[in-house]
Amino acid sequence: MTEPGIVAEDVSKWFGPLVAVSDVSFDVGPGVTALLGPNGAGKSTMFRMLCGLARPSKGTVRVLGRDPRAEPWVSRQIGLMPQQESVFEALTAREFVALGATLQGLSNPDGAAASVLERVGLDPSDSRHLQAYSKGMRQRVKVAQAIVHDPAVLVLDEPLTGLDPRQRMDLVSLFKSLGDEGRCVIVSSHVLGEVERLGSRVLVMSQGRLAAAGDFHELRALMDDRPMRIRVRTDKPRELAGALVEAGTAVGVRLEGDGVLELDARDARALARALPPVARERGARLYEVHPLDADLEGVFRYVVERR
Amino acid sequence: MSAVGTTPSVAARPATLVSLAALYRLMLRTQVSLSRLLGIGALSGLAILIGGLAAFDSDPAQAAADAVSGFGLGILVPLATVWFGTSAIGDLVEDKLLVYVWLRPVARWQLPAAAVLATLTLVVPLTAIPLTVSALIAGSGDVALATLLAASFAALAYSGLFVAAGVWFRRAVWWGLAFVLIWENVVANEAKGAARFTVAGWASSILGLAPGIDVDLEPGSAAVAFIVLTAIAVAGWLVATWRYRSMDID
Repeated sequence: MTEPGIVAEDVSKWFGPLVAVSDVSFDVGPGVTALLGPNGAGKSTMFRMLCGLARPSKGTVRVLGRDPRAEPWVSRQIGLMPQQESVFEALTAREFVALGATLQGLSNPDGAAASVLERVGLDPSDSRHLQAYSKGMRQRVKVAQAIVHDPAVLVLDEPLTGLDPRQRMDLVSLFKSLGDEGRCVIVSSHVLGEVERLGSRVLVMSQGRLAAAGDFHELRALMDDRPMRIRVRTDKPRELAGALVEAGTAVGVRLEGDGVLELDARDARALARALPPVARERGARLYEVHPLDADLEGVFRYVVERR
Repeated sequence: MSAVGTTPSVAARPATLVSLAALYRLMLRTQVSLSRLLGIGALSGLAILIGGLAAFDSDPAQAAADAVSGFGLGILVPLATVWFGTSAIGDLVEDKLLVYVWLRPVARWQLPAAAVLATLTLVVPLTAIPLTVSALIAGSGDVALATLLAASFAALAYSGLFVAAGVWFRRAVWWGLAFVLIWENVVANEAKGAARFTVAGWASSILGLAPGIDVDLEPGSAAVAFIVLTAIAVAGWLVATWRYRSMDID
C-alpha cells in the first residue's frame, strides 16, 4: 500500500495573536486534490508549511515521510507555484525556469526549461524579459518552474488566477495528467467552478480550519441544499413577511427593525419571482433586496455549521 | 519520475560550484540597475575630480590620502556597498522572490555567499578602482596601491555587514545609511578610541601602508586590519546564513 505524499497532523500556525491555521489534519495521496477556501482562509499559509517555507507553530507536516523544514533536500521532490505574481523581472522565461532547473541539479537545465515552457504553452525562444509578460503568461511560467524538475509532489497556489478560459482548460488538463501519472498534486482555489473541473477530491478550509474533506460532488450537493438568506427593506415588513411565508417561498423570517426583514428561502429564484407581485398585492414598496450569503464565505460558513 | 509512496532517493543536488555560480549570476542580474550605476558612477567621477585637484596641492600624496580617507573610505565605498549589499537578498525578501531560491536542494550558506561575492564584484570596480585612479592622478603610486587595498578590504567588510542587514531588516538601506553616516563617520571621528570599532578606521590603517603620509584614523597595524576586515565579512556572511536558514519565507 502506498503512503500518502503529504500528511499534516494537528497543524497550527499563528503570527502573534493572529491564528492563521488552527489544528488542521489531512493527508493527500497520488492524483489531484483541490484545497478550496475563500481568501484569508489560511490556504497559502498551509501551503507554505507543506513546503517547509514556514515552520508550524504546532503539529507536524510530512512530505514523502520527511519533514520539509528540517530536511531541505526533500525540496528535490517538491514543486511549488506560489500565489504571488512577482517573478525575476530582469530574466527571460527560459532563464527563470533554467535557474530553477540548475538549482535542482538537472544535467541540462536549458533543455529542460525549453521543454517545460512548451508544455505550458509558452514559446521558449521568446527573448522578452518577464516584466513584459501578462499575468496569464507569468502564471504559466510559474507553473513551468514548479514542474521543471519532475517533482513527486506539486503544490499549486491559485494557479488559474488571471488566465483566460482556454488557458485554464489547458492547465487543468495538465494538472490532471500530472496527477494521473502518480504525482501528488494539490491545487488551491477560492472559486467553486474551478475546483469542480479539477477533480473529485476536495479539502475545504475556512477561517484557518479544515471545514470539510471528501468528495466534491457530495459537498456541492450539501451547498446547493442550504437555505439562502435575503435582506429586504420595505415600508410594510410584517405584511410582506406573512404573505411570503403563507405562499411557502420563505421558510424563515426575521424582523430587524427600520423596515428590514431577513428571509430564508430554499429556492432563492422562486422567492425573487414571488416578491414583486406579493409586494404589489399588499401595496408595499421595496427599497432594497439583497442576498446576504451568496459569496463563498457564506457557503463555507454553512458547511462548517452543518459539520 | 519518483513515484509517490516510495521513499525518495536523497536528492540529486547540484554541484556546489554550479549552484553557487547560478546564484552569483542571479545576484548580479538583480542588483544592477541603471539608477544604481549612475548614482555610484557620479560619486566615483567626483572621486577622480578630487584626485585631479589634489595634484595641485603642495603635498599631493598627503592630499590624495586625505581625500581617499575622508571621501573614499568614509562616503563612497560604504554608500555604494549599502546600496548594492542591502538590496542583494533584501530585494528578494521585499519582492517575495526568495521562495524561488529557498525551495531548492542547495545548501543555505550559498545564497549569502553569492550575495557577498556579487556585491564585491560591483563595488570594487565602481569605487576602489576610481579611488586608485584618483591617487594616481594626484601623482602618488604608493598611495594608489594602499588605496586599492584599503578600499577593497573595506568593501569586503561592508559587503558582509550589509548583506546580513538586508536579510535581517526590512528597508535595510535606511539602517545602512544611518550606520554609515552616524557610526562610521561622526562617532568614529569624534569619540576617542571608537575607530577600532569601525570599518573605515581599520581601512585607514591599510591606507597608512603608504610611506610618508599621516592618516587620522588608525586603530592598529595594517596586518591586523586585513584580519579584522576579513573577519567582519565572514561574521556578516555567517549571520546572514543563520538568519536565512531560520526565517519563514513568504
